[in-house]
Amino acid sequence: MSYITIDDSKCKSCYLCIDVCPKNLIKKSTHTGKTGECIVEFSDSNNQCIACKQCAMVCPDIAITNVYKE
Amino acid sequence: MQVYTKPKSIKENSSFTFCSGCDHGLVIKLVAEVIDELNLQENTIAVASSGCSVFLYDFLDVDCIESPHGRACAVATGIKRATKANKNEKFVFTYQGDGDFASIGLGESLHSALRGENITVICINNTNYGMTGGQLGPTTAMGQITTTSPTGRNRAYHGFPIKAAEHIALCDGTAYSARVGVYNIKNIINAKNAIKKAFECQIKGLGYSFVEVLSSCPTNWRLSPSDSHRKIETELTQIYPIKVFKDITND
Ligand SMILES: Cc1ncc(C[n+]2csc(CCOP(=O)(O)OP(=O)(O)O)c2C)c(N)n1
Repeated sequence: MSYITIDDSKCKSCYLCIDVCPKNLIKKSTHTGKTGECIVEFSDSNNQCIACKQCAMVCPDIAITNVYKE
Repeated sequence: MQVYTKPKSIKENSSFTFCSGCDHGLVIKLVAEVIDELNLQENTIAVASSGCSVFLYDFLDVDCIESPHGRACAVATGIKRATKANKNEKFVFTYQGDGDFASIGLGESLHSALRGENITVICINNTNYGMTGGQLGPTTAMGQITTTSPTGRNRAYHGFPIKAAEHIALCDGTAYSARVGVYNIKNIINAKNAIKKAFECQIKGLGYSFVEVLSSCPTNWRLSPSDSHRKIETELTQIYPIKVFKDITND
């Protein structure tokens, strides 16, 4: 099981994380964030996330943290 | 178990005030990670410049000083020499925009490299004057449209752009000069290694170390953040090659 934390108050809807996720587990949500655009959400119902941390590395706002796999 | 967390030297509860998708945040994060890894937080004085880098002290949990436009290298020279003379030598780095480093401050920048000042310089090359609305800067590419070059940069009127990392590498006082990018994961890792190498040059007392980071400016380029990264990857790296131009630790 992998875990990632997305801080909704920091997400600026740049969607760079959506681009890099090799499993396409990050998507646009229906909630708007601080820029007025939809922020991102992570869902992994089939336990596909391998905690590669690319989403966190590419996030320019440090909105994605605590990425790990158990 | 490896957990990816916020770098310790980024202030708790601070969030970057940059535009959506701006690479400034990414680079500051890399700088903070290197400060943590080299255990420099307590012994560092960062010098911010005028431009989007100006708010560095809001984010980085190290001692910071603000310098007048273009004068970051001069201010850093003073701090480094004064702290050394007082036998309390600090680790000093500047964090500057390309307009700041390579246009208004070119004299300070070049001469501190020629003097071989033992400081580190991180220069964000986003090919325009970002903070003031995307005017043509010293690094604007030929043909690039900006608010002050609405028909594109042209040779007859604006002349050619400057290649900072190449010029700095030519200075005898330079220990390390590299150009990096943060437009994909591989380059983000390489950029962090280059920043670390530059910091280590200062720790070893080898002289001036310089890292130019090719960065995006989605707001002024009028592109989405991912299209901006593609533009860097396909267009800008052709003009500004990603390369280590000088590294005296390898010679
Ligand atoms: C002496 C002086 N001249 C002009 C300005 C206005 N000014 C503030 S920021 C800036 C542009 C900075 O651009 P750059 O260094 O490329 O950094 P960026 O904002 O793109 O990161 C200018 C011209 C100033 N603050 N001081």
